This record gives sequence, structure tokens and C-alpha cells, in this order.
Amino acid sequence: MPDWRSKIQERLTSLNLPPAREAEIAEELSAHLQDRYDELRNSGTPDEEAYRIVTLELPYTDLLAELQPIEAKYREVIPEGEAASGHLMADFRRDLTYAARVLRKTPSFTIVAILTLALGIGANTAVFTIVNTFLLNPLPVTSASRMVAVNTSHPAKTGQSSDLRPISFLNLKDYREKNRVFSSLAGYSSPMAATLSYGNDSHRVFVEVVTGNYFGTLGIYPLMGRFFSSEEDMKPRAYPVVVIGYAAWQGRFGAASDILGRTIKLNKVVFTIIGVAPKGFKGINAVFGPDMWVPSMMAEQMLPTQQQNPLKDRAVLTFTGVARLKPGVPLSQAEAEMKTIANELAQEYPETNEGQSVALRPLTEAVIGTNQGQGMLIGSFFLMTIVGFVLLIACSNVANLQLARAAARRQEIAVRMALGAGRTRLVRQLLTESVLLGFLGGVLGFFFGYEGCQFLWSLRPAEFAQNLADPKLNANVFVFSLVVSLFTGLLFGIAPALRSSRTPIVEALKEETRTLGHSLSRITIANVLLVGQVAVSLVLLVVAALFLRSIRSQYAIDPGFETKNLAIVMLYPGQAGYDRTRIEQFYKGMRDRLVTVPGIASVSWASNLPMWAHAEAGLTIEGQEQRKKSEEISSVVNTIDLDYFSTMSIPLVAGRDFSQNDREGSAPVVIVNDTLANRYWPNQDPLSKRLQLPGQKEFRQVVGVVKTANYQTLGEPPQPCVYIPLRQTYSDSMVLYVKTERDPASILTAVQSEIRNLDPALAVDDLRTGTKVIDQALWGAKMGVGLLGVFGFLALGLASVGLYGIVAYSVNQRRREIGMRMALGAGQSSVLGLILRQGITLVVSGVGLGLVLSTLLGRALSKTLYGIGAIDPLSLGGASLVLLVVAFVACYLPARSASHADPLVALRAT
Amino acid sequence: MEHEWKKGSAELLILSLLEKQPRHGYDIGKLIELRSGGVLYFHIASLYPLLYRLENRGWIQGRWVEKANQRRRRYYRITTEGQRVLAQKRLSWKEFVGAVNRITGVEHA
Repeated sequence: MPDWRSKIQERLTSLNLPPAREAEIAEELSAHLQDRYDELRNSGTPDEEAYRIVTLELPYTDLLAELQPIEAKYREVIPEGEAASGHLMADFRRDLTYAARVLRKTPSFTIVAILTLALGIGANTAVFTIVNTFLLNPLPVTSASRMVAVNTSHPAKTGQSSDLRPISFLNLKDYREKNRVFSSLAGYSSPMAATLSYGNDSHRVFVEVVTGNYFGTLGIYPLMGRFFSSEEDMKPRAYPVVVIGYAAWQGRFGAASDILGRTIKLNKVVFTIIGVAPKGFKGINAVFGPDMWVPSMMAEQMLPTQQQNPLKDRAVLTFTGVARLKPGVPLSQAEAEMKTIANELAQEYPETNEGQSVALRPLTEAVIGTNQGQGMLIGSFFLMTIVGFVLLIACSNVANLQLARAAARRQEIAVRMALGAGRTRLVRQLLTESVLLGFLGGVLGFFFGYEGCQFLWSLRPAEFAQNLADPKLNANVFVFSLVVSLFTGLLFGIAPALRSSRTPIVEALKEETRTLGHSLSRITIANVLLVGQVAVSLVLLVVAALFLRSIRSQYAIDPGFETKNLAIVMLYPGQAGYDRTRIEQFYKGMRDRLVTVPGIASVSWASNLPMWAHAEAGLTIEGQEQRKKSEEISSVVNTIDLDYFSTMSIPLVAGRDFSQNDREGSAPVVIVNDTLANRYWPNQDPLSKRLQLPGQKEFRQVVGVVKTANYQTLGEPPQPCVYIPLRQTYSDSMVLYVKTERDPASILTAVQSEIRNLDPALAVDDLRTGTKVIDQALWGAKMGVGLLGVFGFLALGLASVGLYGIVAYSVNQRRREIGMRMALGAGQSSVLGLILRQGITLVVSGVGLGLVLSTLLGRALSKTLYGIGAIDPLSLGGASLVLLVVAFVACYLPARSASHADPLVALRAT
Repeated sequence: MEHEWKKGSAELLILSLLEKQPRHGYDIGKLIELRSGGVLYFHIASLYPLLYRLENRGWIQGRWVEKANQRRRRYYRITTEGQRVLAQKRLSWKEFVGAVNRITGVEHA
């Protein structure tokens, strides 16, 4: 039975009737047509002939013209034909009501359009949420724009921002007392690993040492209890009080309501909890924050041995300054005055302060950290660009859908114009529709984005989950999504709306058969959009492929040390209250115990975590002391125990390893890597040369040379490294390295229980295998590639939907032509070829354009890629292939359905 | 002028057909065609707008009726107002036709 009803209903749209009335008319008329059809068939007319006759008997144009004046009373709103009321809001409301009705009437179009937009907007929202959290709005403090970060700088070294260092406690105190530009100046340390003992458990937590006025300076208020009083930060060790973070309160203390006044042990010292920080405050650093805060007078108990006497020694740089500018004082004036004070201090304390100055930066700039900041900025910009392209594809998809629909709505629009609708009015109405679509897509996209972001964040390393900032969904994100979706609506709506409003009235009204040709120009815009889509999705796929290949080659990098059969544990025996003798016994005892455990090949200690080292400046080489400040040698310095090189499988190139005899009192020795040896003693024998470590007075003799490994990042350029024996340099916290004979994961529990046996008070939270170390080093990169991949395939998906849509639409437009061809004897395969050719031509042009763009982009990206060239044939070829296959399917489906069409039906098609 | 006659007569036809019993649109169209011996034919595109117009004026009233084994149809019945209008229209039609006849001399043919 023919579906009269939906055909009629479609035509009635332009009358703008209430849905119930429209349905009623459609039902009545279709019942009539069906009666007529039945009658004809009963009298012996063949079905198809009957169909044709009935169709001819209902001239829609007449019907609409007749109904128009009669049905006026049913209309809730003034017809489009009437002029603008002059009231902008009234017009807008009317347009909106109408738009909603139109969208409701074509649910499949509406759903596809909203979903497409939601994916595009969602991707943008997700990325923007991250950017917003880290870059735009990282500080949960009041009037953050008046806050500045204060650091020690070394103007001699051309004031590079990466050269900013913390300030010593005494200097900070002097700055605070002498300046007249800040209403308040506070200091905070970086998060220090500490051992928290609570009940019978010991855990590693991160603690920041802050001056008593820290929270007051930031202008934040406790969730519970209070922050430090000035009295609590006057005398060393006098007030062991601690403020815990919201996440720690929730996680470690089960959100206990009676948390205030409870005592905990941090590094064996009993502290009283006096307050809980507000939710979302995780310190000033945007990325990594502490679990709790203690006053600066407790610094001695928190800082590692390397930073002894933090409260008395001006050379121990511990605190980063954070200050609030006095009202009316500009940053430049504040900096000038602070520099003057710094000069005075340098004259007063030349031994520690010479060559030092002070640098001020807006806090919002400083929170990202200097090195992290650059990378994050570039990364964010890159991701925003990528998702911007995804959104463009989504937009052009919806624009194409709109164009196709505009063709179907020609009559409706012609009727409206015939009734007197002005062009502007019409464009406004059509744009309202687009903007409404954009808005609906935006609402859904906002939730997609939020969920996506949560999911992304759930993938962060669990060890630090509590310390990493949480993605913030605030007004910024909301406004961003709103603006993006409204803009999107305008973007994809404007071309189709302008085009529709140019509909030639008479022609369109006369067009009984809407589909007769002349839609070439309509197709042209769509084709251009489509070629663009294909090109952009190819670019995104290529970029994803490039980074995927890059990260794969990074995994293949040999970091220069054992990773497969390696387990490491960070231990802080000093925090368990051990004295030096006991700690040294502990190091030795631990080694002796563990080597007897089956499956363990060798054991050693080192001060550095693999891939977490950082270079220290100020290394002096004997005979080469006269260096300019700018040529200061920096080197990784690692304190190691016996057997370190065999445990880490780092080969010895020359000389010897450390031995039992390299102990305190014997001649000070070092082992250097071949990079350092070749760089500073080229063509000389490095053995028996001497060097001085940063901050040390004695010269140490080189006794061995080992191969260079990676210390900070995988695949880094070789950098100098100096190893010193543990027995000559005491350290109270070390990393235990265990080389195993089989999969280290199976050994981890044994290692853990051995440590617990030796002392249950030691926190052993952080057991890792070597493979995991590499994983963590590449975590950020992996996330990035994952995102790129997701966005690349999102783009591909959207583009193929667009391709499918446009091919299907043009097939529909050409139904008569196709029917004609087939009636004249064209075979299925030739029709299939005809349609496919059209689609594939577009795709191939798009791929060609995309390849050119990818090549250009590849060059721009080549610096950030590892182990592959800017033009990577595999990435280019692979991405093109994937795209071609998907595009072929998208073209093939409508083409096949066209070639299977019954010529009779196709010919009759209206 | 012609348009007005046609419209006026169409209204008369429909009201007459509904005088004795309610009917649905297809039935009305069919009856007009049958009883006029095929001379008068109402296009669907004019029949229904006309019905709606009469309904708007309150001369007829449509109601959806469901009968066993049949699809739902809209039956129109004449209202009291419609009957009054019908009587009036009949009268003026008779006068009109009589006048035309007298002039054209059909009676004497």
C-alpha cells in the first residue's frame, strides 16, 4: 500500500500548522487517495497505473493555495509571509517555535545533525576543559591577577626563565620584612615525599612546607578547622600542626567528620591535624599538588638530608615566593624594588647571595611551571587545532545535510516567499533553525566532552591520582561550549540559508517534480565541502599515524639500562627516624637479605629514580675552572651503592667499579659516563682526572667510565652523568634496585615482605617494574597519541557519513536519469560505475589535497617526532588507504542501491 | 462572477448531500460525480478545502468515526445553522436558475 500520508504531510509543512491539525488533514486526504486507489484497482487498473492516476489527481500547489487562507485560524503563529513584527525578541521566539517544529518533523535529519555536531563540540569541550584546568584558570584563589610568583634568579645567565630557583628561608624573610610593594609575601616548598604513619600503616605522601601566611596570602578559607596562625610559625619545632588536603581527607581518612585534632606521624614526628583545605585546592602548581601542608618551622623534619638547615642556611633554596601586590602597585614597580632589596642582600651576604637576584612573574604564568608550561602550551594549542578541524568537518557535514534538505524544501520556501516573506526574514528563520541545531548539539556535546574528560582523567597514573589536579568544569567551559555551538550553528547554516533564500519562486512552485536536474550548483558547494572534509580527515589520520609511529620507535629505544628484569622501590629510611649508622646498616642489611631471595640476581641502591633525574649545574673540572658562568657544566649526579652497574646492566667502558674500599676516609672517587669523558677530556685518558661536584669543596678522582644511558627522557641527547659511591656520600632516602632472573612482577611481593620484615614502619607504596618506569615516562606521549587517534578516527567517521550522505543524495536526485539509462539498456554494473566514479573522484581529490597538507604539516612537526622522517611513507600510505577503503564503502552503498533500483519505479519517481 | 457562482453552487451541493445523512469526503465527491452523470467533478484539492471552510463557518461539523474492519474516516453532518443556510441557498438558487432560464428561453425550446 502506497504511503500517501507521509507524502502529504511533507507538503503540508509549509502551511505551518499545529501538528495535530496537520496530521488530521493528512489522514483525511490519504484516506481519500487510498479509496480512489482501491477503486481503480478493483476496476481492473494495474497497480502502477492506479498509482500514477491517483498521484496526478492531487495537485499540491492548488491544495496548499486553497488551504492557506482557510487554515489560518489554526496557526499559532503568524505565517512566515507576514512581515517582521518589529519586535526582535517576538520574532525570535516565533522563529524558534517554528524551527523546533520543523526539526521535529524530520527526526532522522535532526538526530544525525545533532549527533554529528555533538561529537565535534564534545571533542572541543573535552580539550578545552583540560586547557582551562591547567592553563587558563588553574588557581582557586581570590583575585589571582594580583598575585605574583617570586623566585631567585641569576641575571648573569641572561635571565632565562628556566633558570628560576626557589628562595632560601632567610632571604624570603628579609624580602618579606623589607619590601613595601606586597600586602603579603608567603613561601612554599615543592611537594616533598614523606612517610605518613597512621594506625598500623605507613604510606608515602607528599607534603608542602609553607610559611604561616601562605593560605592567607592566597585568600582561601579552610573547609574545616583552620589554617596556620602566625604563632605556629615562629619557633622551630614548636608547633607540629598539619593541614590536610580535601582528597587526602576523603581518601586516607575516610572523610571522617572528627578529623580535627587527630594526630598522625609524618617522618616519625607526631603532628596534629588542625584543618582541611577546600575541595579542589591542590597547591599552586597546576599539575601536581601535595596531600598536606606543614608550617615552615617544621621544615627540618620534612626536607631530605641534602637540604640541611633550611631555616638557617641562605644557600638552601627551598621556598618559592608567592605574593599579593598592594593595590595600585604595578608588577614592574614591585620587581624594581625587590631587585634593589636583592642587591642589598647580595652585598650583605656575598658568600651565598652573590650573583643572585630576584624575578617576579604573574602567578598565573608561574603555576604551570616553566618547563612543563612550554610543552603544555604547545600541546594544548596543537590539540585545540586538531579538534577545531574535527568540528569543521562536523560543520561541513551538517551544512551538506542542510543543502540537501534545502533542495527538498524548495517548494516550502517558495510558498513562503510567494506569500511575501522577505529575504532577510527568511534567512533569519533558516539561521534560527541552524543555531537551534547547534545549540542542541552543544548541549549533548557538553556532556560528551565532560564524560570524555572524566574518562581521560581516569587513565592517569593511579599512584599520583590524589595529587594531580582534577579537570575543572566551570563557567569558562560552559561559556566556551555555548559560544562554540552557536558559532557552529551560524557557520554551517549561513551558506545553505543564503542559497535557499535565492530560490526562484515561480520555477519552484511549478516544479511538480522536484528532482529534475539543475541542482548542479547545489552539488558544487557540497562537493567542495566534501573534498575539504576528506583532506582534513586525511591530515588528522596522518598526524595520528606519525605520532603513533614516533611513540613506537620511542618504545624501541634502548634507554641504556635494564628494564625487563628490573624492580625498583623508593625508600625513605631517614623518615622512619633512623640515625645515620642505622640507615647505613639498613642499606647493607637489605642488600644482604634480598640477594638470598630466589629469583633475584643482584641488588643495589641509588639516589636517582630512572627517568626522573635532573641535571645539576656547577660541576668543576680540574684544570678547566676558568669558565664563564654561561658555560657552567651541568651534569646528572647519582649516588650509588655497590653492584649498581651490574644490576642496571650498564657496561663499564674503562677503569673499575666502586669497591668496598671506597668508603669514608679513603680517597674520594667518581665514575663518569663516556659523554662527560669525551666532552671534557677529548682524546685524553679520563682515568685519574679530577672533578669537583656542585656545592662540594673536595676534588674527586675519576676511577671508571661507563656507557651513557637515558636519565630524563627516552631518546634524549646524551648528557653527562657523574656517579659517586654511597659510602662516601650519605643519603637518608634511596631507591632500591633489584635485578631479577624472571618477570619482576612475581618478585615484587617477596621484596615487599622482606622490607616489612626488616622494619614495618617503612612506607613501601611505590614498587615499580622497569617496564612500568618506561610506561610512565611515555604516559603523556601515549595519552597524546591516543587522543590524536580518537580524533583522527572521529574525523574519518564524520567524513564518511558526509560522503555517504552526499552520494546518497545525488543518487536520489538522479533517480529519473538512472531509471532512464537502465530502461535504455544500461546494465547494473555501468550504473554502479557511474555513481562510484562520481564519489571516488571527490575522494581522490580530497586525498591528494590531504597528502599535500600532511606533507607540509609533517615538516612542521618533524622536531617533535622521534625516529621517523617528516615524510613518512608508511603513515601517509596507511592513512590514505584507510580513508580510501572507508570512502569506497560510503560511496558503494548508495551506488549499489541505485543500480538495483527498478527502472519503472525510478522513472516514476517524483 | 463565474467563480462566485461556482463556489456558491458547490456549497449548495455539499449541504444538500449532507441534509439526510452524514457522509465522508470521498463519498461526497463520488456522489457529486455520480448524480451529475459525470458532469460535475470535484478535485480533491478543492473538495477538502471547501469542507474545511464550511466547517469553519459552522454549517457542517466533522467527526472521526471508526467502524469495524474499516479505516477511520471523518464524517460530516449538517448543523442547524447549516440547514438554515441550505434552505436559503436553495431558494436563491431556484430564483437564479429560474431567472436564467427565463432569459435564455430554455423552457420554450
